[in-house]
Amino acid sequence: MYSYQERDNLIYQLHPATMIVFVMAIFILAMVFSHPVYLLGLLLAVGIVIVASGNFGNWKTYLRFCLMMALFIILINALFSPAGTTVLLELQVIPGFYSIQVTKEALAYGMGMSIRLMIIISVFCLYTYVINPDKILGILGRFGNKSVLVISLCTRLFPLMIEDYKRIAEVQRCRGVNYQSAKWWDRIRNLLPVCSVLLLSSLERSMQQAESLYARAYGSGSRTCYNREIWRLRDYLTLIVIVIAMLAGVWTAWMGWSTYNYYPKLNEFLINETVTAFILSLAFTVPAILNWGWMKWPTLRSKI
Amino acid sequence: MAYIKIEDLSYSYPETESLALDNIKAEIQAGEFVLVVGGSGSGKSTLLRAISGLIPNYYKGSCNGTVYLDGKPVRNIDRRQLSQKVGMLFQNPESQLVMTGVEREIVFGMENIGLPNKLMRRRVAEVSTALGLSGCMRTAVSALSGGQKQKVALASILAMQPSVLVLDEPTSQLDPVAAEEILNMIRHLNEENGITVIIAEQRLERCFHLADRILVMDRGKLVYQDRKPKAVARWAVKNNSPFIPPLARVFAGVNYPQVPATVKEGRQILGSYSNNKCSRYEHPEEAKLENFNKEKNILDIQKLWFSYPNGKEALKNINLGVQAGDFVVIIGDNGAGKSTLLKAMNGLHKPGKGKVIAAGRDTRKVSVEQLSPYIGYLSQDPGDHLFLPTVREEIDFTLKNLGLSTKGVTEEMMEQFHLTPYADINPRDLSTGERQRVVLASVLASKPSVLLLDEPTRGLDYSLKEQLGNLLLRLNEHGTAVMMISHDLDFAAEYAKNILLMSEGSIIASGNKYEMLSNSTFYSPQISKLFSNIEDDVLTVEEGKKVLLNLMESNEVKALSL
Repeated sequence: MYSYQERDNLIYQLHPATMIVFVMAIFILAMVFSHPVYLLGLLLAVGIVIVASGNFGNWKTYLRFCLMMALFIILINALFSPAGTTVLLELQVIPGFYSIQVTKEALAYGMGMSIRLMIIISVFCLYTYVINPDKILGILGRFGNKSVLVISLCTRLFPLMIEDYKRIAEVQRCRGVNYQSAKWWDRIRNLLPVCSVLLLSSLERSMQQAESLYARAYGSGSRTCYNREIWRLRDYLTLIVIVIAMLAGVWTAWMGWSTYNYYPKLNEFLINETVTAFILSLAFTVPAILNWGWMKWPTLRSKI
Repeated sequence: MAYIKIEDLSYSYPETESLALDNIKAEIQAGEFVLVVGGSGSGKSTLLRAISGLIPNYYKGSCNGTVYLDGKPVRNIDRRQLSQKVGMLFQNPESQLVMTGVEREIVFGMENIGLPNKLMRRRVAEVSTALGLSGCMRTAVSALSGGQKQKVALASILAMQPSVLVLDEPTSQLDPVAAEEILNMIRHLNEENGITVIIAEQRLERCFHLADRILVMDRGKLVYQDRKPKAVARWAVKNNSPFIPPLARVFAGVNYPQVPATVKEGRQILGSYSNNKCSRYEHPEEAKLENFNKEKNILDIQKLWFSYPNGKEALKNINLGVQAGDFVVIIGDNGAGKSTLLKAMNGLHKPGKGKVIAAGRDTRKVSVEQLSPYIGYLSQDPGDHLFLPTVREEIDFTLKNLGLSTKGVTEEMMEQFHLTPYADINPRDLSTGERQRVVLASVLASKPSVLLLDEPTRGLDYSLKEQLGNLLLRLNEHGTAVMMISHDLDFAAEYAKNILLMSEGSIIASGNKYEMLSNSTFYSPQISKLFSNIEDDVLTVEEGKKVLLNLMESNEVKALSL
């Protein structure tokens, strides 16, 4: 069920709160920035951290999906956005009556939005594969244990119900219930036995779980929260750099350096904007840089 | 003074009038290993819930009498304190775990009782080491095997450091290897840590000898209790109670002066007869699983290979013929391909290579639904079949589904399976054995020529197993071929004609049960182990009793002649 699988590198050993701050910072800046160079810098930084964490294979799967989405966005925006002044192509849909103009600006805007989408999906990939969901629940447990229990139960029960569904469907097929009937209403009607058994089994299971909760004193008074995560130098270093980079990023947006006007005509790329984007990106690769040192000098492991 | 004292305890569940517990009186000393035995619906689980305080505080209902723990009534002890004194482990690990990860599950109880973080960390380290869970602390619960899940549930309870461990059939959903491991852990906790253990268990051969006290329950009453397994065995034989292990049943059944609790003890007793090989024992007639690929095969598997979509090769070159009247038990470890083979037989899995001919049709060319009138399938959990509000409708459903007439057939099936009194009752409200009979009746209503059963004895008590075995024999006599998967070698020895051993997707060996079970060190029933190298071909309790009687008689003759 879990996509998360522990690996032996520093990124997995960071405090979950540090990683959440990292993910949130990237996500917020991806929303704030519109400059393609800044967005590319963020994408590069997330990519480096993902590769350093040993999840390149998983990221590739996400990227494949992203590229399809990106092509779709670029195509739709280029074909249907009438803004922009540099016409690259004019398509006569109904000659003399209706034509579509493909502009350089609309194409560039689609590309910019695609990079933003890729950052968001990549940061989601990082969250999925690098942060242990149990650790997140542990942190959230301090704020609302009932909600966390519900999330946890759902996470546990969902795969169980899928397995139940497969098993029950097989059993009912062996009783002659046909799910491959040509008529769709027959197929829906024939799903009734499976859904009924699934519902009844889930109800029985929930009764047993409630009993188990009661036997382990759930709801008997105030709870404490287990935590074995330790704040280490690596977390402080990462957090300091990320927070500074985040503030700097917001400041560049405030100053208008990381905003970009695609319409009516593309802005020029300025050198100082590119340099700032590079510095920001470098700051966001700090977990990967620390991981590199952690791998290269084993003695550094206990020091940071 | 007794650590746990049950005083005149009677209880009925809410909205029921019948007593689930009827005037129970018992005393349990600290550190004892107490085994609670009895059939399905005898009140074992209810008694355990009363000891752990779930009855009446959680279940409500009508309760008279009191359970005392260390002199205090359990129902008056604060829940937080009680959970630190009495821990309860339930049957099904899936239904008692609530968190996603192993570590969070172990700390769940401790968090509930408000222990400080430092103490929790210490106890997690201790309990995970003790139960061998250190390597999987960060693993997702869903990635664990059934046995590991039950260990995690046990660890979660032990982390609260209870002095009493109450276990309600903790191994009933586990395979034999995992069950053995859990029972060994429980024994260790009792012997080395002094934890009082109160356990309801169906695998009596695994824990009968461990018990300091045995409580026998029947229809809500405590019908017998004794500290000596030997006395319980004698009482059980005298009262025709099935709740003693086969080994004890053999000795107590022939009124032997001693009743051993383990195979080792039994063999020590039989050691004195080892030179008197019993010549008068009539060796059972051998039924053979042969003549594969004959024309008469109602199910024919030829060079079958099967791989799952993930690439795992589950069946390798299977050749097998099933004929009318066959009763074959498929044995083998987990992942050997037993369930896959069963599903290939009824067309749920289509062959990757080779073919399966069922009811004269190639399973690749027909659907499971089309084969279902000819091949009945019973899964591990009868609950997977049942969804209609009455037993009658459940049996009707199969017939209507297959386009067969229900006229008279439903009544006939209910009569045959002793279900007529329950015709209008919801099958899910019936006991385990009754549920299984409803499922069998609904599967067999179409009169299939082959019946496939996937571990039907899992979680059944001796009495229910006997009922199921006799039912299958009856069907078998009428020509229905029975193919079943089982880890229960005692059941296989008692009822099967042939055994098929699978390993890593292949059939390693097959033959009649005497050939397969009496010459094996590990795949042999308790009785066979008892008579190993003393007498061949002794598998069942009746055969064991015959041999023991013969040995006793020949010893007497020898003594007289001297």
